[in-house]
Amino acid sequence: MSTTHREAIQKQIQQDWANREYIEVITGSIKKITDFLNSFDMSCRSRLAVLNEKLTTLERRIEYLEACVTKGETLT
Amino acid sequence: MATDKVTLADALSNVDVLDEFTMPDEQPCIEAQPCSVVYQANFDTNFEDRNGFVTGIAKYIEEATVHASLNELLEEGLEHAVMLYTWRCCSRAIPQPKSNEQPNRVEIYEKTVEVLAPEVNKLLNFMYFQRKAIERFSAEVKRLCHQEKRKDFVSEAYLLTLGKFINMFAVLDELKNMKSSVKNDYSTYRRAAQFLKVMSDSQTLQESQNLSMFLATQNKIRDTVKENLEKIQGYEELLADVVNICVHMFETKMYLTPNEKHMLVKVMGFGLFLMDSELCNINKLDQKKKLKLDRIDRIFKNLEVVPLFGDMQIAPFNYIKRSKHFDVSKWALSSSINSMSPQADLMVHLPQIREDHVKYISELARYSNEVTTTYKDCGSDIENRETAELALRGLQLLSQWTSVVTELYSWKLLHPTDHHMNKECPQEAEEYERATRYNYTDEEKFALIEVIAMIKGLQVLMARIETVFVDAIRRNIYAELQDFVQLILREPLRKAIKNKKDLIRSIIVSVRETCADWHFGVEPTADPALKGKKDPDNGFGIKVPRRKVGPSSTQLYMVRTMLESLIADKSGGKRTLRKDIDGQYLIQIDQFHKTSFYWSYLLNFSESLQNCCDLSQLWYREFYLEMTMGRKIQKCHVRHQHNEECSDLITMEKRIQFPIEMSMPWILTDHILRSKEPSMMEYVLYPLDLYNDSALYALTIFRKQFLYDEVEAEVNLCFDQFVYKLSEQIFAHYKQLASSILLDKRFRVECLAAGAYILSYPRANRYETLLKQRHVQLLGRSIDLNKLITQRINADMQKSLDLAISKFESGDITGVIELEGLLQVNRLTHKLLSKWLALDEYDAMFREANHNVLAPYGRITLHVFWELNYDFLPNYCYNAATNRFIKCRGLQFVQPVHRDKPPQMSHHYLWGSKQLNLAYSTQYGQYSGFVGFYHFRTMCKLLGYQGIAVVMEELLKIVKSLIQGSLLQFTKTLMEAMPKVCKLPRYDYGSPGVLGYYHAQLNDIVQYPDAKTELFHNFREFGNTILFCLLMEQALSQEEVCDLMHAAPFQNILPRPYCKEGEKPETKQKRLEVKYSALQIVPNVDKYGTAKQAMVAKEGDLLTRERLCCGLSIFEVVLSRLRSFLDDPIWVGPPPANGVMNIDECTEFHRLWSALQFVYCIPVGDTEFTVEELFGEGLHWAGCAMIILLGQQRRFEALDFCYHILRVQRVDGKDENVKGIHLKRMVDRIRRFQVLNSQIFAVLNKYLKSGDSDASSVEHVRCFPPPIHPSLAHVQQHYHAPEYLRQVNHP
Repeated sequence: MSTTHREAIQKQIQQDWANREYIEVITGSIKKITDFLNSFDMSCRSRLAVLNEKLTTLERRIEYLEACVTKGETLT
Repeated sequence: MATDKVTLADALSNVDVLDEFTMPDEQPCIEAQPCSVVYQANFDTNFEDRNGFVTGIAKYIEEATVHASLNELLEEGLEHAVMLYTWRCCSRAIPQPKSNEQPNRVEIYEKTVEVLAPEVNKLLNFMYFQRKAIERFSAEVKRLCHQEKRKDFVSEAYLLTLGKFINMFAVLDELKNMKSSVKNDYSTYRRAAQFLKVMSDSQTLQESQNLSMFLATQNKIRDTVKENLEKIQGYEELLADVVNICVHMFETKMYLTPNEKHMLVKVMGFGLFLMDSELCNINKLDQKKKLKLDRIDRIFKNLEVVPLFGDMQIAPFNYIKRSKHFDVSKWALSSSINSMSPQADLMVHLPQIREDHVKYISELARYSNEVTTTYKDCGSDIENRETAELALRGLQLLSQWTSVVTELYSWKLLHPTDHHMNKECPQEAEEYERATRYNYTDEEKFALIEVIAMIKGLQVLMARIETVFVDAIRRNIYAELQDFVQLILREPLRKAIKNKKDLIRSIIVSVRETCADWHFGVEPTADPALKGKKDPDNGFGIKVPRRKVGPSSTQLYMVRTMLESLIADKSGGKRTLRKDIDGQYLIQIDQFHKTSFYWSYLLNFSESLQNCCDLSQLWYREFYLEMTMGRKIQKCHVRHQHNEECSDLITMEKRIQFPIEMSMPWILTDHILRSKEPSMMEYVLYPLDLYNDSALYALTIFRKQFLYDEVEAEVNLCFDQFVYKLSEQIFAHYKQLASSILLDKRFRVECLAAGAYILSYPRANRYETLLKQRHVQLLGRSIDLNKLITQRINADMQKSLDLAISKFESGDITGVIELEGLLQVNRLTHKLLSKWLALDEYDAMFREANHNVLAPYGRITLHVFWELNYDFLPNYCYNAATNRFIKCRGLQFVQPVHRDKPPQMSHHYLWGSKQLNLAYSTQYGQYSGFVGFYHFRTMCKLLGYQGIAVVMEELLKIVKSLIQGSLLQFTKTLMEAMPKVCKLPRYDYGSPGVLGYYHAQLNDIVQYPDAKTELFHNFREFGNTILFCLLMEQALSQEEVCDLMHAAPFQNILPRPYCKEGEKPETKQKRLEVKYSALQIVPNVDKYGTAKQAMVAKEGDLLTRERLCCGLSIFEVVLSRLRSFLDDPIWVGPPPANGVMNIDECTEFHRLWSALQFVYCIPVGDTEFTVEELFGEGLHWAGCAMIILLGQQRRFEALDFCYHILRVQRVDGKDENVKGIHLKRMVDRIRRFQVLNSQIFAVLNKYLKSGDSDASSVEHVRCFPPPIHPSLAHVQQHYHAPEYLRQVNHP
């Protein structure tokens, strides 16, 4: 095998390492984005749940108060 | 902007910035890895890129080609295995033509063929595949067993792949044997196809015949493999290599996932079975040291049962037992039945697992804190290596624990229990039930849950820092690989060049060229090592670069295989290569080879992590479903000598799945819920996660919609159950807590002292953590557990209140105290729960339960009134001595009341538990016999002002109708019967004479039949009403005083401070006022609130202050209302003839009352009821109240018949029997009632006269000084009328 040929291959191998490293960087970043999305999801869910709870409470309270005020008739 | 170009650096920094967002999630993490998005990059090329590594040794590139195709076959094999395993019987669902004459049978057959054809096609493919795979496998074995080739080294990867083939054959064969539904379906198809003559040509017919035979022949694949192998000379040696490498890998833990571990064991068993034949005896191979049976024996003992596929298990030792030359003596451990395999006992492993877990978790926590708190671009090589090792250790631990769980599960499946071993297991329990539901002790279930929780918990932790791990792993692998090939391999290379070992040199050069990443792109040509020369004294510097990337899968394979060939014991030539390499280099190469084994796992960290934690097979039960085929076998249970007639009764049930009670995930979840073990409560979501695993498996590996649907259906069912049970439990827990808190402390102490039963407080439990869960991931759905529990507990709370009131409604008025207690407990429960759950307001709930939202009066008020009206007023007797009413035990004057039955309710709706219910019902039992002060106070609290007002209003209406109805009627009638004139006889007649006189005069009244019954009863009702109003007012006043006392500090009303001598109370008072100024409402609202608020505060304050000041009295009003009812002239009669007052005439009411008093003062016989017993003091209250309201009190007291008898008797002290009346006894009674009457008058006067001042009352009274008879001058008066006193004072 000629030296130049070998060097060409060695360079290709090095290029391959570099390419794969680049892919790894991208993959790692996608992974980070995924992690972010997941934690964002969790966080949102927990906050929305709290909000939902508050709204439900308010809704039920309004229902109750409406019943108290109207004594059974619906407010129009 | 879309057109803007984003540079890579910008993009990366954008990604980095994401870290800086804070994502608060306030729930404790007690569930398995929750992720909505899963990202797994897979760079496994299956040797597609092998041709890129031209510098590698050609032989291994070729081998890679073979590997690639073998891997494809293995993958296909897995698909067929899945197809077989998940096969569900179709033919059972297909209608069969009943007779040949059936008109639509052609249609049926056509449809059958249409439906089954694609399925049968799969079976055909399977047959072809196994044929192909066996041929391929045999060809490979044959190639490798060629005499020349035999001497050559076969790589570890190659042998392992062959092992995988052996495993695949074993699996496929067992699956084929097991699935009888496959055969049934095929014969259904064949029958239909033959009828329709679909298979016309001979080839198709032949094929069909082949398939039929293939499916019908048991062990077909295994036998064919064996047959084919036996034709190859020396195959046993190759298989021995395969078995040995499996033993080696098993013993040195060269595997990661539990699947791989079990595969190794299966290969050992099946491999030995394949080897042992006519030609070959494994025992002889053992003697020749080609096999090490004793080591395999130990492995088989430690792992008696391994999962084969899904819920199919296999005991690898069974292969050995079935082999031709089985020799028990060689298999001492495995064949002994005395000792149990360690895999069957989870408890043995548990302490070690716990220790490992704690150790690893703490290490991981330390590490994780370090990386999150300190920012580092990249660690040093050593740090990276430590991190990578940490990651690997984590994976290995997870895999080890998962193995323990699956191995236990497998063992249990193969060793089902029965009713002898487990008393709880019913005799008729199903096979699957005996393998799962009844097969675990409580301890084992807890241990399983704990281990599963550790696995899932650690998985979450490791996944959380995956990016950090992956980063360090890549850097570490890169560094190790490059350092090894660029630096370490220099020495052996130098040596090889120097010693002209061309083969070694070429291999090392190949290795280097395959994967070296030179700093300058090319190998430093000046390197003296390349020429076999020594380095210069100051060394030859090679700078090894650093990157964050691992080798590609092919690259790694090439490097490892080539290095392996260097250190292998075998080679193509006479001497092995390792003899030409120095020991120290050998060790280094060997070390590298060993370390790099795990790199493929580490590089696919995310996938490895998932595989190591996969517990999906705990749910799958296709094997058991196939076995039962929807049948349920009922054995004969009648106790008699069983004969042929009582053969097993087989009932077909239309069921395609087992009930959840037999399903492992639910068994474990339910176990926690049932035991309520606090230390396990936080683990309750982990067993549920097993469904996630199973569903994922159904979607990604099995790829079967129906399996996913079944998992989903079970999850739906289980989760409902879970929420239902959990919320009930939580509610009961807090109810018990509240009840225990409120339970009388002395009662508790005395219970303890008496040793009756111990009412311990409920064990603290960790429901709070569960209650904080707002997003639980289950089958890709996010569930707000808190919300679900809130809904249920809200309903429970409501029901609890409702039932408390219903319970009250089902009992008499005395239940009011218990009702108050129940409401209090519910209020406390509500308070305790509200800390975690957003429940409705207690008052709102209470009013709803009380039906008091829409209607003005609640159920409680209505029932109180109802009870008063129908039970209390007519049936209760008052006694002033005890200040209590008790139920009349004598005659009943009204129909007994009918109440609704108390609703059935479970303990937690009442006081929380059976013991607490007992304790409280004992306590409240004390209040059920009477109505007294407690009851009135409680009624005040429960009714409130509005309720009291309405009850009294209604009672007054009743009294009005009573007075103006029956009482008036009676009065009119009786007045007729009264003598017109009835004088006070002189003392000279003596008391018997007076008594006789009155008796004669009042004979009509005495004889009047209804007087002692109906009339008195009416008076009692009237009197009870008066008493009720009086006592209510008293109770209310106490309540109000309490209120005022509570309000006092907020109104700047402070208790008078204690002063020593010389201290000024005013200054002390001032100081206190200043000290507590922050409490005072009005000034504070004035200061900080709006004008409107200030006004409201002032008005509230005023109302509170004035409440008792002006002395408003309900009772006074009641009396004046009563007075207004007495408007009929009959009550007062015509005006007196003498213009002053009536003395002897019997026209006024008080005369009638005197007559009645005479009646009830007549003593009764021993067997008769007295009026006190029958009517209580209500009677007297009614009479006295009427008299006083009619203004006849004085006349009554002066002129009453009985009083006169008493006065006379006091003088003469005689005792005679007058017309059957015992005088002395009568007088005693009169005396008693006189005292009572005067007490009643005193009380009533207090209320009636409270408004008048003394002066005004005197002014309006015309005073007639009565003539004092000498004989009366010394009689002691029991009661001194005020007027009388006045006269005494001012003669």
